[in-house]
Amino acid sequence: MISHLLFGNLTLDAIPFHSGIIMGAFAFMMLATFAILFVITYYRKWSYIWYEWVCSVDHKKIGIMYLILGSVMFLRGISDMVLMRAQQAIAAGQYHGYLPADHFDQIFTAHGVIMIFFVAMPFMFGLMNVAIPLQIGARDVAYPYLNSLSFWLTFVGAMICNASLVIGDFAATGWLAYPPLSETYYSPTVGVDYYIMSLQIAGVGTLLAGINFIVTILKMRCPGMTPMKMPIFVWSVLCSMILVVLAFPVLTVTLALLALDRYLGMHFFTDFAGGNVMMYINLIWVWGHPEVYILILPAFGIFSEIVATFSQKTLFGYTTMVWAIGVITFLSFVVWLHHFFTMGAGADVNTFFGIATMVIAIPTGVKIFNWLFTMYKGRIRLTTPMLWVTAFFTTFALGGMTGVMMAIPPVDFQVHNSVFLVAHFHNVIIGGVLFGYFAGFIYWFPKAFGFKLDEKWGKAAFVLWVLGFYVAFMPLYVVGLEGFMRRNDHYSNYYFQPYLIVAALGGGLILLGILCQGIQLIVSFTNRELLRDHTGDPWDGRTLEWSLASPAPLYNFAVIPKVETLDALWAYKQEHLGESIAHLKPQHYAPIHLPKNTPAGCIIAIFAGILGFALVWHMLIPALIGFLGIIGSVIIKSFYFDPEYELDEATIKKTELAHFKEIAECKAIR
Amino acid sequence: MTINKRVLSRIFILSFFALALASCGSHFIGVLNPKGIIASEERKLLFNTMALMLIVVLPVIIMSIAFIYHYQISHRVQDYKPNWSHSYFLESLWWGIPCAIIFVLAIITWKKTFEYDPFRPIPGFNEPPMTVQVIALPWKWLFIYPEYNIATINYLEIPVGRQVEYSITTDNVPMSAFFIPQLGSQIYTMTGMRSQLHLVATSTGQFDGMNTQFNGVGFSDMHFMVNVVNETEMAQWVKNTQKSSLKLTVAKYTELLKPTLNDQPLFFSSVPANLFNDVIKLYMNSNGTTHPRASLTEGKMND
Repeated sequence: MISHLLFGNLTLDAIPFHSGIIMGAFAFMMLATFAILFVITYYRKWSYIWYEWVCSVDHKKIGIMYLILGSVMFLRGISDMVLMRAQQAIAAGQYHGYLPADHFDQIFTAHGVIMIFFVAMPFMFGLMNVAIPLQIGARDVAYPYLNSLSFWLTFVGAMICNASLVIGDFAATGWLAYPPLSETYYSPTVGVDYYIMSLQIAGVGTLLAGINFIVTILKMRCPGMTPMKMPIFVWSVLCSMILVVLAFPVLTVTLALLALDRYLGMHFFTDFAGGNVMMYINLIWVWGHPEVYILILPAFGIFSEIVATFSQKTLFGYTTMVWAIGVITFLSFVVWLHHFFTMGAGADVNTFFGIATMVIAIPTGVKIFNWLFTMYKGRIRLTTPMLWVTAFFTTFALGGMTGVMMAIPPVDFQVHNSVFLVAHFHNVIIGGVLFGYFAGFIYWFPKAFGFKLDEKWGKAAFVLWVLGFYVAFMPLYVVGLEGFMRRNDHYSNYYFQPYLIVAALGGGLILLGILCQGIQLIVSFTNRELLRDHTGDPWDGRTLEWSLASPAPLYNFAVIPKVETLDALWAYKQEHLGESIAHLKPQHYAPIHLPKNTPAGCIIAIFAGILGFALVWHMLIPALIGFLGIIGSVIIKSFYFDPEYELDEATIKKTELAHFKEIAECKAIR
Repeated sequence: MTINKRVLSRIFILSFFALALASCGSHFIGVLNPKGIIASEERKLLFNTMALMLIVVLPVIIMSIAFIYHYQISHRVQDYKPNWSHSYFLESLWWGIPCAIIFVLAIITWKKTFEYDPFRPIPGFNEPPMTVQVIALPWKWLFIYPEYNIATINYLEIPVGRQVEYSITTDNVPMSAFFIPQLGSQIYTMTGMRSQLHLVATSTGQFDGMNTQFNGVGFSDMHFMVNVVNETEMAQWVKNTQKSSLKLTVAKYTELLKPTLNDQPLFFSSVPANLFNDVIKLYMNSNGTTHPRASLTEGKMND
């Protein structure tokens, strides 16, 4: 009895000892974890990690932690890709490949969930954290402690998803867990429960971060930065975060209703006793469609910044760009039904959503033309961030084209659920979101870490990635039209096999590209002294973040800047062309209030993790501990009446003068 | 390094084209080789849309490559306008042209969506459509021909040139989708509901039919064979099937409700009256906490 209260349904049988692949992955994960723990212990870095990182409420450090989380989870998502591509390349005819159907189904579910929730979202929040406060001339986000909590909730969500690899199983339902397949009757194992808990916890983190950034952008801008003088990345993030705040509650409620079905035997979405499957599919896409725009809008912002910076030219049609982002934000909420034209809603409903969908192509097209004419009559430097942008144009235009094709219901009736669809959304998500984040990562890397990334390995990674993308996904367009469906773990018609072998080779090229990115990071770290960014402005930037040292000091701006135009730094540099840097130095410094570090975010998230894991396995006592732990730590945190401290003048002055000295030395060498 | 990269990329590009050529040699399948009215129309629509979109997409691709190449800093182009960032003419052009294209596409979408609505009969056929009732079962398809009182598993035989009306539902398997790519349009199948699909095959032959909506571990096996024949062959086949020794009794149907993989075709010479409607009603009128089919499949769904 007591053991059931403690361990619920969890027994040793939950660990799949029979599966070599899973045990291998587990062994690798354990080895890596122990290696990291050993290194930390050996160099006595525990207190450094705890005080400087885990407890940190500094947006720059939280941004870096988001980026690390995204990168690590990316490796897992990519392993899933390799397993799937290999399986489909060989599982033709009578041969069923090396993965049992049930395992394959978990893999494609995990691939989707991980890539969207635990790769793209952390990467987006990472880049936002690194850049947004600096771009608007702020010293931090509006709620630094909430920012830390958001990160740790996302982290815990990802860890619950990872735990499912070894303890029990993950959902085998597809990444949106459509009922009735995800209901207890068809999926009695803990897989879907893991899915629900993992996304609920990460989803709360995302929602809080969304609120945080909206308030930051609305309230924390430096004097003079009126809305139409905000850098375009800030606009794109603002709109994206508005989408987060509007869409994520829908996800939370939908998954909560599914959880009620599964845990308490209710009938919201069951296929019997009055449950409505179609309601879930509508609700999940009311969140799911805005979600892709949540991801792509910041990528658009990054492209805008990079195109302007590396063409050394003002962004073309700034006002149009802002309006285009606004229109996309609005339209992204009225198109969700295009994900299930084939459900049989009727011609009138399908027509409305089909046309609404293709209307989105208009503002998106406008943005592309604006970028093109930003480059027109510019001076383009083809460094790695800009290279990703060049690949983006062609790739995204093609993806947009196939998207509009599928927006027409009768065409969708043919290609829906086929790998044509898979090729389409990878075309826009890789070509748009991922390329954008890669570009942004290289672009802001010096600002976050103080040194640039190696160009040679960056270019190799770029070539392999782009080539790999086309080799992997163009064959999928063709076989999709020829009737090859997504999520097949094997197929009897040998006709498809050559295409899928080519696609697997493309996957291999992408893998090599990722390897190059890994080498790029290592090489850059080794050569960090050579690659060091002394001036804080390595790309001849246009916006405020480049007016600071790299990495930016703890307090960001010693003196809050005043802004009069768009591209404030660019205008400033044009005005003071050829002058010494003396004009940069302020007359005097004042002490700065900064938020104290706190472990509260991490502790609350750990209790949330305990609650989530306990609910997955129906463990009553641990669930209570998790639940009361969350409430208790929130209450205790609220009794810290003095969450700020003052950084004294002398420290600030010392830091700033060191930076000016570095700039002066740099100028002298030139 | 650079040479290696070039050689590598060439090998890949060549192998890709070789593959494309090889597949041109054989026949395409799927919507690229339509054998039904709906599939042909949908294929036409697909390529028309693509052509319309290319009006914008091609210039974008060409301009992006040309601009990036031409305005590189190393080319020292004199024409540098760092502050030129606005032009009413250009901006109205690229709001205007996409608007015009989408306007055309919207009209096409409006007309064609109504025209090819799977629930509506295809116009131009005087004869009433032949009825086939389809039930998605755990990883197999049951086809009922109510007019002939016969049924089949994983095998669909239909006459060429005649409109067929499919009424589709599901029993004891999650939401699935019924699709014959070369004939046209897929549609979801759900419990307690009747989806409808109207298709006409335009030439005889054997085609692949399938479930396209992932519905569990047997998903990949959920295919059926479609045999399109002429009227006389169809009549002959019906006669033969009516002589089949297998009968679809309630007991046999209950057996079919159990999850199985990779079922071979079966032919039944009789069908319980109103089976299709009864299956729909069973779910519509169900209540309580257990699934209507729970007793059949206790613990079997995930084996």
